[in-house]
Amino acid sequence: MFGQGLIKGLQVTWHEMFKKKVTVQYPEEHAPLAARYHGRFQLDADKCIACGMCANACPNKVIQITKEKVGKKQYLTKYVMRIEYCLFCGLCVESCPKDAIAFSHIINMNQFYRDKVRLVLVDRPAPESLPEGEAAEPDAGGAAAGKAARVQQAARAQAAAGKAADKEGE
Amino acid sequence: MGENLFTGIAAWLSALLNAAGVPLIANDIILMVVKFVAILVFILVNVLWLVYMERKVSAYIQCRIGPNRVGPKGLLQTVADIGKLLSKEIIIPRLSDKIVFLLAPVLIFVPPLMIMVVVPWGRDMAAVNMNIGVFYFLALASLSTLIFWMGGWSSYNKYSLVGAMRVVAQMVSYELPLVLALLGVIMLTGTLNMNTIIEAQRHTWFIFAQPLAFLIYFIAGVSETNRTPFDLVEGESEIIAGPYTEYSGMGYAMFMLAEYANVMLVSIMCTVMFLGGWLAPFGWTFIPSWFWFFIKVYVMIFIFMWIRWTYPRIRVDQLMGFGWKVLVPLSLANIFVTGVGMYIYRAIGW
Repeated sequence: MFGQGLIKGLQVTWHEMFKKKVTVQYPEEHAPLAARYHGRFQLDADKCIACGMCANACPNKVIQITKEKVGKKQYLTKYVMRIEYCLFCGLCVESCPKDAIAFSHIINMNQFYRDKVRLVLVDRPAPESLPEGEAAEPDAGGAAAGKAARVQQAARAQAAAGKAADKEGE
Repeated sequence: MGENLFTGIAAWLSALLNAAGVPLIANDIILMVVKFVAILVFILVNVLWLVYMERKVSAYIQCRIGPNRVGPKGLLQTVADIGKLLSKEIIIPRLSDKIVFLLAPVLIFVPPLMIMVVVPWGRDMAAVNMNIGVFYFLALASLSTLIFWMGGWSSYNKYSLVGAMRVVAQMVSYELPLVLALLGVIMLTGTLNMNTIIEAQRHTWFIFAQPLAFLIYFIAGVSETNRTPFDLVEGESEIIAGPYTEYSGMGYAMFMLAEYANVMLVSIMCTVMFLGGWLAPFGWTFIPSWFWFFIKVYVMIFIFMWIRWTYPRIRVDQLMGFGWKVLVPLSLANIFVTGVGMYIYRAIGW
């Protein structure tokens, strides 16, 4: 019959009207992110051995590493990512031999001023000497120290995330 | 209950003025002005609401939520939009015909508002009970064409000109089936007075007596208001925004709001001519007559929106072909059948 398609079209839109809406109300709700989502970078400074493989892997020369020699070991003092040039390819994450650098699920990295965009993951002075036996075979004391350091690192990461979430900058 | 709400207010105001010793002629004039202002406010508020409703309906059809941030449930979205548009600069193209260019958005609201004056909003609720109401409606409704043409011509822009030419071509060719479809109803009732036409539908709405006429009127009405699937006038993919291309700020907004006023007009006319106007169906008179009118108009408006967000735009040749080769012959056939039927019924002696 002539006009059957028109009626069918109206039926489709009518049913569509009562379907569950697909909109996610962004600031209040978040669409779930995949486990492998390429978000903001996070660095486990205790795992990092300052080998510089991530900086070598980076196609855009985003990663800038500063390290100092403490005793026999390289010690990471500064880990800066010029994130405005980053294309989130993940080559640094793949190249890391200790899985120190990783993607997080923080997606809000906007800043009001351009110079605030730079992502400083580690900025610390080198200690006089590393605690004994921390690296190779961690004993009880060493583990505790490592734990303390990890807590400290987590707090720092949180602070950095807070800064990233603040749109206006300081 | 509520039935005499508005007529009561009018009678009370009239009595008040009479008691204050206002001469009869001044009394009438004041009452008329009050009625006109009430209609104006009603239309403008409705137009604002219709923009919001259109966005919500389109959102729901597309599985979205639609505006829901400004005000409760996003109700103030249109108010915010109008506020924004008011604060924007009105850019006038250097080579445009400035007077006509600026006059077009001012005049675009005049025909819809003038028509609203004769609309019977409820029992005895027409501001002016004109005995050629339908004729007045049709005459003024076709004036809009001229104003669209003014806007398109004065813009000095080829898209505006093409859009304006499409407006004229489309509205003139669909005016004919629109009028001819209404002619069937007018033949049945033998009057052009809207109130009498509504009264004649006390037993049968004319949508049942004249289903073909209703369909033709509805399709031609969609076309007259330049809405999808007949929105060639502002076919974004081809001619940007048609006659509105060069308009910015409130000038553009006036055209947009006038479109909704026109949608309302066509729906009102549908209600009056085919859906029994303010008559209550099934004898449900506990709902006031003006509210029945309102409900019917809004059902029609909803169908307009539903259609808009369902069908794609048709081509110009399809539009013209459909108008002249299908709608006009059909409406003529409808008039013929109606006329013959009336004679047969009269001969039978019904």
